[in-house]
Amino acid sequence: MARANLQITRRTFIKSALATGGSLALAGSLPAAATAAAGEGVDLSPNWFYGGEIKQTYNCCSMCPWSCGLIATSVNGRVYKVDGNPADPKSRGMLCARGQGSVSFMYDPDRLQAPMRRTGERGEGKFEEIDWTAALDEAGAKLKAIADEYGPESVAIFGHTAGDFWFTDYLAQAWGTPNAGKPSASLCTNPREEAARLVYGTAVGGHEPLDWDGPEGAEDGGLQCLVLIGSHIGEDARNTVMQDFANLWARGGKVIVVDPRMSTVASKADYWLPIKPGTDTALLLAWMNVLISEGRYDVDYVAEWTTGFDELKTHVQEFTPEWAAAITDLPAEKIIETARVMADNLPRTAIMPGRHVTWYGNDTQRMRAIFMINALLGAYGREGGIYFNKSPYIESYPHPPFAVTGSAGGCCAEPGEESDELPLGPTGKARADGARNSFLRGATALQELIEPMIGGEPYPIKGLIVYGVNLLHSLPNPERTKAALKALDFVLVIDVLPQEHVAWADMVFPEATSLERYDDLWTLPHKTPYIALREPAVEPLYETKPGWWMARELGLRLGLEKYFKWETAEEFINERLLSIGSNLEKLRAAKGIITQNGKPYLADYGNSSPFPTHSGKIEFYSEELALTGHDPLPVYEPVEEPPAGYFRLLYGRHPVHTFAKTQNTPLLSELYRENDLWLNEDAAAAAGLANGDYVMVENQDGVQSGPVRVKATPRIRSDAVFMAHGFGQQSKGLTNAYGKGASDAQLISRYKLDPLSGGAGLRVNFVKITPATAPTAAVSNWDDAVAVQSKIKREA
Amino acid sequence: MFTFLLDLGRCIGCQGCVAACKTGNELPVGAQYIQISEKTTGSFPDVTSRVTNKRCLHCLDAACVTVCPTGALYKEDGLTRLDRTKCSGCTYCVDACPFGVPKMYEERSSKCDGCAAVVKAGGEPWCVKTCPSNALMYGEREEILAEAKTRLATLQKRYPNARLYGETEAGGLGVIMVLPDEPGAFDLPTNPQLPLSVTAWQKVVQPVSLAMTGLSIAVTGVAAVIARRNHVQEVKRLHLLAEAELVEAEAVVDSGQSDSNQSDSNQSDSETVEREERAA
Repeated sequence: MARANLQITRRTFIKSALATGGSLALAGSLPAAATAAAGEGVDLSPNWFYGGEIKQTYNCCSMCPWSCGLIATSVNGRVYKVDGNPADPKSRGMLCARGQGSVSFMYDPDRLQAPMRRTGERGEGKFEEIDWTAALDEAGAKLKAIADEYGPESVAIFGHTAGDFWFTDYLAQAWGTPNAGKPSASLCTNPREEAARLVYGTAVGGHEPLDWDGPEGAEDGGLQCLVLIGSHIGEDARNTVMQDFANLWARGGKVIVVDPRMSTVASKADYWLPIKPGTDTALLLAWMNVLISEGRYDVDYVAEWTTGFDELKTHVQEFTPEWAAAITDLPAEKIIETARVMADNLPRTAIMPGRHVTWYGNDTQRMRAIFMINALLGAYGREGGIYFNKSPYIESYPHPPFAVTGSAGGCCAEPGEESDELPLGPTGKARADGARNSFLRGATALQELIEPMIGGEPYPIKGLIVYGVNLLHSLPNPERTKAALKALDFVLVIDVLPQEHVAWADMVFPEATSLERYDDLWTLPHKTPYIALREPAVEPLYETKPGWWMARELGLRLGLEKYFKWETAEEFINERLLSIGSNLEKLRAAKGIITQNGKPYLADYGNSSPFPTHSGKIEFYSEELALTGHDPLPVYEPVEEPPAGYFRLLYGRHPVHTFAKTQNTPLLSELYRENDLWLNEDAAAAAGLANGDYVMVENQDGVQSGPVRVKATPRIRSDAVFMAHGFGQQSKGLTNAYGKGASDAQLISRYKLDPLSGGAGLRVNFVKITPATAPTAAVSNWDDAVAVQSKIKREA
Repeated sequence: MFTFLLDLGRCIGCQGCVAACKTGNELPVGAQYIQISEKTTGSFPDVTSRVTNKRCLHCLDAACVTVCPTGALYKEDGLTRLDRTKCSGCTYCVDACPFGVPKMYEERSSKCDGCAAVVKAGGEPWCVKTCPSNALMYGEREEILAEAKTRLATLQKRYPNARLYGETEAGGLGVIMVLPDEPGAFDLPTNPQLPLSVTAWQKVVQPVSLAMTGLSIAVTGVAAVIARRNHVQEVKRLHLLAEAELVEAEAVVDSGQSDSNQSDSNQSDSETVEREERAA
């Protein structure tokens, strides 16, 4: 390669392109990328950035819902690299392993390529490829038929990932179905959001508002003591949180981790409390007991900003450390010591709200206890404590009034929009998920919409659109979900990969990945409210289309023209940006990010209260709960224990994977191809099992999954087992993921509904293990599993 | 002289570096320049678990460079580069590295080269760019050492046993590591050395035998010169001898021409003939 003269022409712009980002074009030409035949001393050093004009575009990572701002670098219409956008307040120029796997994800050879119509039985996975017009016409007609007979309320829309807005929010509200939602609500954050609203008036929002760094410009004003209840930062690899944690830890901040398993973050903590699963609320009540009885709470803050303290003080008197020690299997001295460490650092102490908190069905009360402790420590609105999120100001697209209002919610729901009355659809029906009946309040509970699909109560749900949700791995009791899929009149699945539920669709729409399309502006309640651009790096691959286009095309066929006068996403985005005096070009020029001023601290609110509760204060005692027959103060409720010979099934994250989304991504699959079953090493020895042995896992209902590899370790209690979520995938169309490891989702055949938030407590299954033979290499083939008669000429 | 900083206090094992490296370098399946794992000791609940992080340490006096017969491995700007197109597949580097870094991939060695091409094009190494924990840095050696010492001072408040690794180990490493604990806790050798066989061969036997070869060539040369000179001198001496005898014989022949010496001259003639025959 002629490198010498290249360096001079290339250096200046590649330096900025690769190091700082920006849209640049190369003046002059470069030699074509050198290639060598494999095996002939193949040069493994990269040369893709010598291969042509370098193009850089802005987007937000869609490999997990965190949505870090990124810059995609492409050459000759192919994306080669993504890096964090230094201007983005979430990524700050860095990306985690999943983000770096974006390129591998989009070029996964197993991707869905063209629209498909089912030809066999639901679940068989037999399809024929059809063209878009036929697919849209047919899907539109089927959906319209259901709406004409039953009302649009009888079509449920489940959505998640970067484009979910077009389906769960825009189309759902325009058309009139309140049965739209995201798994991140009742299968993840609902207890947290409802507890937050009950205690201090607003949902936590998308970004947990710990004030890690303190006020702008302060050298040493940040958080000093972090408490994690089950949060496993680092395995739950959310980029910004890892950055913030590393800084806190490196500067000597105190870290207290409560977890039955020694997570990676627990291995770095000052205190690891290996709590008995299901007893966290007892620990929290005992902490409150210590803080109050020893006078180690922020007395002035509590006097000024809270109500119900006297009731709380009386309530926790009996919940002594000794009482909690017997329940939690933690030494009383440790309970006392850790409470004192938290108090020593107040108000710069915070218990992280966590994210996936749907554990036992009593989770809202546990979350209330967490938020109350933060209030006792005086953290809310204090520098270095917990700041107040603020939404960025920008108008919605100016659409005509929707047929049903109320966003589908999920972890990024706008705070304060939950009203007391449920919104009604055009035929007068409210949500069918039992809100206000089997649970008090909260965003749409997807797992509660399955029964109406089977049994028709409170009214039948006849149609289902699934956008980007790995249905059979996200909802508990997948066998029940399959029964629902059989019973429905019409199932439309929109996805990127042939996930398991694809085989159950009547119609499949293949979506372009986020790097191949526009999405609505990313807006986030944050300390620094901001708006981010999501634009394509390359054209959609194969016959795939962006979600916005599909939603619009369906909308036009459902008689919703007035909502879809905009023809492209760029028009839609531009119209919104005009409301703040900006536009697409200005946003691009601003490196894809517009930031606004936040209102993070008490001082920013002047004389008004930042707590939109009924009283305007933080409420330890909840009148609303008392009036509706629930405990106005959190109590400890014991949970069912595993029978003899069984372990409680716990699940969580692995740093290179997201949910059940990435197990097939070639790069990420290579780094962690199958999950391990964490088993206490003494329990393993007693069962005659060694590290690396394979076992079958069977739950209390006789449901089995595996074979899965044993990880015999001292890092977990003997009464529980743990596995990373999202494995044991059964779609033969997924070359890398098929048949690897065990599926926690399969084993979660029962759940416990939280009556306050609709959250589905998922850690209520018990498993026994039996030795199994190691699996032979599972060979899968797309054509074997999904017979596709192609009517469209594919690119070779 | 470039150097990396790797802070195993901050590293939380997220593998962002592994994924960025594989993507940016377009490494195929099976090729990986960084391996993250864990090392756990103790029994529940008194457990210590550490994230281990294995990658090329760019030794200043690199064993792999020393043993490489083709020059595929070489030092540049303080880092250890690898030009795979020159690799003969001999696996000497695999055997020599005290850290077990080079891996054979498709019959050629493979390892991190410090993102040579990326840096030359004006970027920074992919791993450093992406690390969310700020556990990785890249820069001039003095800067990196200063930063490492600052970090160490703070870390020692949490872990008194924390120390640096790479300032002097193995003659100095191109990756300065900040370790919360002693090297063994991270599966690192406490006193990394080239294998004795390699040291002996590369640093003793080879230089000595080269020197010996040189010496023997020199000695041979000198010997040849001396031998040649002796030969020439001997031949000259013999010629001189022969000439002297000829002159004497001619003198005898001249004096042997009178009667009184006839019988003597007859004897002299025949003696002359004999001498001449002997001299021939």
